[in-house]
Amino acid sequence: MTDQTPPDPQPLDEAEYRRRQRSRANLMGWLLGGLAFLFFFITIARMVVPK
Amino acid sequence: MAQSLTHGETALPADWRDLFALTKPRVMSLVVFTALCGLLAAPGSVHPVLAFSSILAIALGAGASGALNQWYEAGLDAKMKRTAGRPLPAGRLDPQTALQFGVGLAAFSVFLMLFAANWQAAVLLTVSILFYVFVYTMWLKPRTPQNIVIGGAAGAFPPLIGWVAATGSVAPLPILLFLLIFLWTPPHFWALALFVRSDYAAAGIPMMPVVAGETSTRRQILFYALIMAAGAIAPWPLGYTGALYGWTAVVMSAIFVALSIQVGMRKTGEGDPMQPEKRLFAYSIAYLFILFGAVVADHWFPL
Repeated sequence: MTDQTPPDPQPLDEAEYRRRQRSRANLMGWLLGGLAFLFFFITIARMVVPK
Repeated sequence: MAQSLTHGETALPADWRDLFALTKPRVMSLVVFTALCGLLAAPGSVHPVLAFSSILAIALGAGASGALNQWYEAGLDAKMKRTAGRPLPAGRLDPQTALQFGVGLAAFSVFLMLFAANWQAAVLLTVSILFYVFVYTMWLKPRTPQNIVIGGAAGAFPPLIGWVAATGSVAPLPILLFLLIFLWTPPHFWALALFVRSDYAAAGIPMMPVVAGETSTRRQILFYALIMAAGAIAPWPLGYTGALYGWTAVVMSAIFVALSIQVGMRKTGEGDPMQPEKRLFAYSIAYLFILFGAVVADHWFPL
């Protein structure tokens, strides 16, 4: 049986960290904006459609 | 937001592509399509914004179910070639992020359905998510080879939810559509299970070919294909659809049964390429798309 040591942790890739943070922030911005529009239009649609 | 994948002391934020992959987008396409067909085949008209929001809620609910399924089965997925590359077993995402994402998405989907449609559809959506996660994933799948027979109910909910979102009530036609997907699931999944049998065996999942053997699975595929065909054609003689759907169902089901006979009567040896099984699996997907398309076409353009 060989003695296996865990691989060294990879050094933090600052550029990758920033890239992921930026892409997720962008996505969240678009999603929240889209949801605001969606909820606005749902509200209007529910006012227009008779119960 | 939750963090994932530690690189040394610091954590990298999860990549959105991995979160998207958690939702099983390919499965979601069939869910969205059948739900849309249920909604479009319902009597009356739905405001386009409310229809879009209802379908979005169903899609998000399906995505949440997929994410929670992958969170729970990460250990099993790592043992199967077919699933080892998923974000959790591949180590690109941490389980906590996946769990938070799944629960958050599930809660949001139900809230959106409640806001856009009605409480009846929101309740059905909740039941379908809970059924998929707790009954199918956690209870049935690791315990019994009947897992996908009973668990098939989870995948059968979308057209019913689509219909209820449009009308606020249940009717015979969406129940028959529910039954169609329910009966379609065993031959569809067992065809897949036959050609990835070794994967399921390695993971210790009691799928039918692993537990009951190939011969029994092939007979059961044929048995379920026959009752599925009867269930698919049933809405026509019962008067819930017209001839357009009826003839489509007759022709498509006849081909399905023919392919199932081919699979059901076969005996294979080591190294068999399993072409008939792969053909049945691929055809079963097209079958469901075409039949549900025919339900809508029949409603809008009756012969």
